[in-house]
Amino acid sequence: MTLHPETESDEDDELTPREKLSEQHQQRRYRLLRGIVGVIALIVILTFAYGQVGFSVRELINYWPEFVTAAHDYFPTTTYFGIVPFLDFGRYWQFIDAANLFSLSVVTVSMAVGGTALGIPGALLLGTLGSERVTPFPLNFVFRALMSTIRAIPALVWALLFIPLGGVTPFTGTLAIAVDTMGYLGRLFTDELEEIESGPIEGVESTGANQRQTVFFGMLSQVFRQYIAWVLFILELNVRVAITLGLIGAGGLGYQLMIQRQTYQYTNMMAAVIVTILLVSSVEIVSQRVRARLRNDKEAPGTLEYLAGMPDRFAQSVFR
Amino acid sequence: MLEVTDLTKHYGDVRALEDVSFTLNDGEFTVLLGQSGAGKSTMLRCLNGLTSPTAGSVALDGATLDNSREDVAMVFQQHNLVEGFSAYTNALTGSLGRHPFLRSVLQLVGRKEKLTALDALGTVGLLDEADQRVATMSGGQQQRVGIARALVQQPDLLLADEPVASLDPGSAETVMHYLKTAANEYDITTLVSLHQVNIAAYFGDRFLGLKDGELIFDGGPEELTPGVVDELYGDVETVALAEETAPDRKTTTDVTEPRLQEVRP
Repeated sequence: MTLHPETESDEDDELTPREKLSEQHQQRRYRLLRGIVGVIALIVILTFAYGQVGFSVRELINYWPEFVTAAHDYFPTTTYFGIVPFLDFGRYWQFIDAANLFSLSVVTVSMAVGGTALGIPGALLLGTLGSERVTPFPLNFVFRALMSTIRAIPALVWALLFIPLGGVTPFTGTLAIAVDTMGYLGRLFTDELEEIESGPIEGVESTGANQRQTVFFGMLSQVFRQYIAWVLFILELNVRVAITLGLIGAGGLGYQLMIQRQTYQYTNMMAAVIVTILLVSSVEIVSQRVRARLRNDKEAPGTLEYLAGMPDRFAQSVFR
Repeated sequence: MLEVTDLTKHYGDVRALEDVSFTLNDGEFTVLLGQSGAGKSTMLRCLNGLTSPTAGSVALDGATLDNSREDVAMVFQQHNLVEGFSAYTNALTGSLGRHPFLRSVLQLVGRKEKLTALDALGTVGLLDEADQRVATMSGGQQQRVGIARALVQQPDLLLADEPVASLDPGSAETVMHYLKTAANEYDITTLVSLHQVNIAAYFGDRFLGLKDGELIFDGGPEELTPGVVDELYGDVETVALAEETAPDRKTTTDVTEPRLQEVRP
């Protein structure tokens, strides 16, 4: 009597549990080996990368006191009611008021809004023509490639390229944002167009509409709301881009930030950063509210209600 | 008058339509019957030019139809409306063939055209809902907007591909009622494909029966006998007016399932 009678009859293709176990062991050893090789490769790559950027812990330790000094400037403290030590908002406000940071924010937002608006027609044209639903296959890649090229060049570099045209001014920044928008927004438009349903297109086609009418009424009509949502999203990003462009001199908040850094006015610099945070997050909140409204097609809560409900939502997500 | 001659459509090896010929007289309300896959949709799509036939020809009042054109209107099963637009704007898209691109985009189409659209919405009983977005309407209302769009085309031929297939019985009857009223009011030759025999028999003036791509029946209400229905639908009990109840079925507990110990002793 044998333990496994069935193995005698077809030994060739049936595995015994013992054989299966050793096979599993072998696979496990193989996986382990691959893992070790992978970790070693990662270590080599990271060592090389940190070497390239001159990363050094000794540097961090040596300069730490200097950073602490700067941090004291970044976050000046005072005592409230004579006893409570806290951030000295008065110092920040002094600079915000003196340098007119809020009106500089208006310049920054204007760069973003103006650039986005200038970029929309180009994005619409390139984005629509880049879709396979509108332009036949090989030809649409001409437009996609054009958008890819635009995206390959960062907005900051576009601004540098346009300096001969408009000088180091907010105007040049606006042009750079416009071109950048064509590349990014156009791409989002194209992707959105690939998702549309063919029913309405066929419906419009069947009425005897010509090709351009079919594109507009059958296709673009389906993505209209999504397009508005994407425009707002790009506007959010463009406010950030506008601040970065200020750093190279194109005016607005970013420019003031750079000047204060160059003159080692760290408290003033942090004041500009605080205004930046306020600006970007308020643009983001407004844009997200509008987008939520567009998505849901229902009454979404208003901005104030949204802000008021924030602590509650935070608490809920923490204690879940 | 619509003349269809030897219409044939093959999709690779599949024969969707085979030598179909018939003539529709002006103002006739004809129902196209047949099972799913019998070739009804293919036929309608060939008639309005959304699909080009392999062989044969379609002529409307002597002129050959070969691509999508304004004087042949189509009502689709899934309404194919632009859901983000209002009922009125959707109805107005029926006039696209009469206007150049920019004028249609800016809705600069003149008072007469706007009245045509509102009139069509009135015909399907949706004048009050004209400004409502199609996405927020019920299935039956959406289908009626589809009919309105077709009417705005001011077509000579109205085609409807399973217009009530995805509606509940009540809405289906309402939509069919409006379709028939509209066809009579505007005096349009109409061809509707349906698979609900009851609805077909109730509304149709004339019937065409397709089976496996071939036209096997062409006649009036008197000739549409239970025998013909059986021939078209392959003797399915619930197709005709159900006179018999379904035989008692076994409940699932009666089915003996193999038990574990029987499988592994």
